[in-house]
Amino acid sequence: MIGFAKVFWLEIVSLVRSKTLVMLAVASVAWMFAAPFIAKGDGTADGAREMFVRYSLGGAFAILLVSLLAAATGSLARERAAKRLQLTMVRPVNHMLVALAKTAALTLSGASVLALCCILMPFAPGVGDGVLGRQCSHVLKPRLPSPRDEARDMYDAYMADPETPAAVKKAKKSVVLRLLENRAVDHYQTIATNDTVTWRFASAGTAAEAKGLAVRIRFTNQFDVRQDVRGELRIGPLSGVVSNITKAVVTVPLSRRAAEAGVAGAADGLSFSNKGSSALMLRPRKDIDLLVPADSFAWNLARAYLELVSILAIAVAFGVFLGASLGRPVALFVAIVTLVVGEISPSVIEQYPDELETSVADRIGLVLTRFAAEVTRPVAALQPLGRLASDECVEPGETARVVLLDFVAVPLALALLAGLVLPRKQDGL
Amino acid sequence: MNDSEDIVRLESVEKTFRDFWLRPTVKAVDGLSLSVRKGEVFGLLGPNGSGKSTTIKMILGLLSPSAGDVRLFGLPPRAIEARRKLGYLPELSYLHPFLTAKETLRYYAGLCGLKSAEAKERTTQLLEMVGLADVAGRPVGGFSKGMARRVSLASALVGRPELLVLDEPTSGLDPVSTKEVKTLVKALAANGMTVLTTSHLLADAEDICDRVMILDHGKSVAEGRVSELGTSLEDFFLAKVGDASEFRLAPFLG
Ligand SMILES: Nc1ncnc2c1ncn2[C@@H]1O[C@H](COP(=O)(O)OP(=O)(O)O)[C@@H](O)[C@H]1O
Ligand SMILES: [Mg+2]
Repeated sequence: MIGFAKVFWLEIVSLVRSKTLVMLAVASVAWMFAAPFIAKGDGTADGAREMFVRYSLGGAFAILLVSLLAAATGSLARERAAKRLQLTMVRPVNHMLVALAKTAALTLSGASVLALCCILMPFAPGVGDGVLGRQCSHVLKPRLPSPRDEARDMYDAYMADPETPAAVKKAKKSVVLRLLENRAVDHYQTIATNDTVTWRFASAGTAAEAKGLAVRIRFTNQFDVRQDVRGELRIGPLSGVVSNITKAVVTVPLSRRAAEAGVAGAADGLSFSNKGSSALMLRPRKDIDLLVPADSFAWNLARAYLELVSILAIAVAFGVFLGASLGRPVALFVAIVTLVVGEISPSVIEQYPDELETSVADRIGLVLTRFAAEVTRPVAALQPLGRLASDECVEPGETARVVLLDFVAVPLALALLAGLVLPRKQDGL
Repeated sequence: MNDSEDIVRLESVEKTFRDFWLRPTVKAVDGLSLSVRKGEVFGLLGPNGSGKSTTIKMILGLLSPSAGDVRLFGLPPRAIEARRKLGYLPELSYLHPFLTAKETLRYYAGLCGLKSAEAKERTTQLLEMVGLADVAGRPVGGFSKGMARRVSLASALVGRPELLVLDEPTSGLDPVSTKEVKTLVKALAANGMTVLTTSHLLADAEDICDRVMILDHGKSVAEGRVSELGTSLEDFFLAKVGDASEFRLAPFLG
């Protein structure tokens, strides 16, 4: 353990004395304060704040992520190239602890710079006063069968349908299921005039009792036509009126209106009655959110911070592992390529959701991209900043899972691997 | 001699370096067997490129042998227990330029598991011993070659090793420092420390070694006690290596 502490200390000292840490802090904080002048919102104060939170912290985080990843690939590889590593290797320390200590030191440096950014954020121009006290909400989604289940249910009917293209009928079942699954996510539900639909929510029974309940509806349909929408929402004793012409997203507060007796909504279901003149199309999986009041922005920021630090930890651990296994230039190259692939693969997959009409080369590319997306998803799919910016609760349960996995388990496993590789990597000695 | 007294033991060890495509490039060590016994100063001699450093790195577990068996304190060299009793001075001084001399020693003391108070005491003592007490607070990045060598030597000794492995300990030192290092090694040996040293400087080896082995092209060409050679080490060396190979003698006759 003294060995661990010493390697940790050495890494911190070299980050401090090489001025890396201070340069990182200056760059991140400078970006935070420059962001409001670069990122412009939709003109409203809320829009400005949302943009700011997203781009200021997001930019600072991106600076940290890339620099720390680069530093991590060098922490072992450069020591090895300078032949100093052998002096540590012949000492009675576990090589895994060496890798772990370097990971911990780099992560801690990143965490402290990020903490500084979070602490300074409320003081930055454009955030507005009292941001820390703002309320955030849990976002509940309608309880529907998973897209995969829906795809399975639809499969037989779809294959029997004469309108299904011949190419699809010849395709493998797994391919068709993936196609259907992608469609299910975007499945539209049509609500005719004077019709009422009900969506169930997992914990709406208690939610209905909550003060400050609201429903958020998105009105971007396939053709991006903004409709004149009128209707009424009900859940338990609460109700709210929807009236929208121009906005793509509306948030409707629900309140108890005792005077209006009669039809009380189901306690665990949110119902919507279309009172407009035309039918309405909504994707319940994407367009309907029940907003239940949660704690404050400050707590939300703290949870988002933990998730971001976990992402830094996993990136650093990966960089350290690469540096243990490869020479510096190759390690750096692999790290950057992985970062880029992790960032872009989800959107590549979204644009090429199935391989029915593509060539063999495209198919191979898609399989690889899908694999990359799958591997990097636990990290790439985390959106704590988006949630934070739009006052959505970064759920504590998810934060706990992210911390356990990305901050603890994966870095430990990578350090273990690095420790195994380290003594076997012999060139350059 | 009893096996259990062998601090280091190599049996038919080979090391072939390979390139990226795993094609063999150099056979640096070729069927080497040796043992270093407790309490002796063992010298591994030979011209440049004869495989001395490679042998040392296999003993330290930094390189794995292509064939044969290496034991350090009777253990595989990568066992943590074996490394606990080890001090190593590499060929050149590879130091962390940001650290001061004192911090360097404290760092390696920590890696050896010394507690803070003990590490502090040991650091002061060693810096005094190698004559660097005055510059203890200066970053080693600015040290001269000789000063850096002393820091390296002190950090090799910081964990109170039972086996001290020195790769060309006097390279880059002026005559006075060379003499000091030799005196130090003799003193350590007199206190019971086992020393394995390499050198291409025969005069240095003759002064400090109990037993020597001469390597050429990765093979042992001669082995013996310095006191029993009957001739000077230089004559012995030339007789053995001169006819065993065609290498140029000039670099290590001086
Ligand atoms: N890491 C390495 N990769 C390839 N060849 C090496 C490496 N280290 C040493 N060699 C080669 O092995 C031979 C022995 O080197 P070395 O053990 O350093 O000799 P010495 O220490 O006796 O001068 C030399 O030919 C050297 O070029
Ligand atoms: Mg050498």
